[in-house]
Amino acid sequence: MDILVQTLADGLVIGAFYSLIALGYTMVFGIIKLLNFAHGDLYMLGAFVGYTLLSVLGKDSSGAGLMGILIVLLLAMVIVGVIGMGIERVAYRPLLLAPRLSILITAIGVSLFLENGSMIIWGAQYQVYPLQFSHDGISLLGAKITYVQIGLVLISALLMLSLHLFINRSLYGKAMRAIALDQTACHLMGIHVHKVIGLTFFIGASLAAGAGTMAGAYYGTVNFMMGFIIGLKAFTAAVLGGLVAFRARCWAGCCSG
Amino acid sequence: MTPLLTINSIHSFYGKIEALKGIDLHVQEGEIVALLGSNGAGKSTTLKTISGIVRPTSGDVLLHGKSLVGWAPHQIVEAGIIHVPEGRRIFAGLTVRENLELGGFTLRKEKAAIGEGIEQAFALFPRLKERSEQMGGTLSGGEQQMLAICRGLMARPKLLMLDEPSMGLAPIIVVEIMNIIREINRQGTTILLIEQNAKAALKLAHRGYVMETGHIVMENKADVLRTDDSIVKAYLGA
Ligand SMILES: Nc1ncnc2c1ncn2[C@@H]1O[C@H](COP(=O)(O)OP(=O)(O)O)[C@@H](O)[C@H]1O
Ligand SMILES: [Mg+2]
Repeated sequence: MDILVQTLADGLVIGAFYSLIALGYTMVFGIIKLLNFAHGDLYMLGAFVGYTLLSVLGKDSSGAGLMGILIVLLLAMVIVGVIGMGIERVAYRPLLLAPRLSILITAIGVSLFLENGSMIIWGAQYQVYPLQFSHDGISLLGAKITYVQIGLVLISALLMLSLHLFINRSLYGKAMRAIALDQTACHLMGIHVHKVIGLTFFIGASLAAGAGTMAGAYYGTVNFMMGFIIGLKAFTAAVLGGLVAFRARCWAGCCSG
Repeated sequence: MTPLLTINSIHSFYGKIEALKGIDLHVQEGEIVALLGSNGAGKSTTLKTISGIVRPTSGDVLLHGKSLVGWAPHQIVEAGIIHVPEGRRIFAGLTVRENLELGGFTLRKEKAAIGEGIEQAFALFPRLKERSEQMGGTLSGGEQQMLAICRGLMARPKLLMLDEPSMGLAPIIVVEIMNIIREINRQGTTILLIEQNAKAALKLAHRGYVMETGHIVMENKADVLRTDDSIVKAYLGA
């Protein structure tokens, strides 16, 4: 029993990361029908940007307090979000009308570029995150669940909930769904389609980066290849959850955890 | 008076196919102008060129004398031209209300305007109000056309361009749609109307143009076009 609960609890944390990544992945797929192979690398980039920001804060950043960590998380999400938008602008937009294969190959190229670029900047070896989480926690049915685990799952859930509300309630969220259905009709409605696609990349990239920073802190080490495997897993979660249904995606993410 | 819309010798291509071979037309403020012609004549391409979906290789499109060529489609909507495309193209997977809200995208900074527009749409077509939370795809063909027109009106256009609004609809619904178009015009919106159903369109319009294989072959007052048998037989197939 305790092993089952322990596995479930640990799985829930990892599943939350996968869900965040898969959400952005499927948003991008939905809006421009692109399997963005570089998506997992944005997760890796998020982990490294978080790593650098925390290092700047100082070696004893565990003393930076909860506030400091949250700010680093937000900053990493914004920075990588802007990078994601830039990637769309530079690499994908010129190819939107080209055959699907050329944009797919470009996505692989972007992925390699991000991996090698990160290797040059941060090195090829594993880096230790400048942040040690406490192992305090509660006992539940014989399993140990740390406060950190609870916090990470809560933050992930909050991000997913915000996204859910944004997509369903806001005009830009509705425009995203409309572009997925009929791009030409959106042009005719006066929707600035490219801007909305850019926004989608921003959100997708920042969710992946949020997962990356949290995962980096949770596992304690980061590496330039960490996005590769997770990209494949996000793909699996996305396919499991169907490339459309939102809630299904969250659950599928948790299950693959 | 400067016309609301002027088109000067427009040429448009799909790859190597020249769909428009030098089109001239104009629409005065307050008019309903019919654009007629058989299948493949280039009517839809004319509207697509005006709304910026297709870029002309030469020629000019002017709104109040100001050139719109090279503008992005969303800028042309902001300038006051709405194109309700052939086949309606409502968002089948969004609710009726969401469809209307997106029609008001260019008014997004004035939240109240979107609410007002939706109320006006519901006043025009009470059936849309009953179905406001239903998915667009579940509506009947006539209701979808009504939704498409209302979605276009949400942006408060100066010029409303309708591409075959009667396509595939039962005659009784066609009459209803035509009456609504007249009503929209009475309330102050200028209309450029494409129709295969020439008779119905000419009953409504002030003037008409007839197109054939990328050219305009005739322009006249609607009642002249309507009553001239030879024209009706030769070009309008009715
Ligand atoms: N997307 C397209 N690609 C290539 N040719 C097209 C396309 N759309 C229309 N055409 C061609 O352009 C010509 C004009 O078409 P269109 O403007 O749709 O005519 P209409 O609306 O009067 O029926 C036709 O010969 C048609 O085959
Ligand atoms: Mg047509």
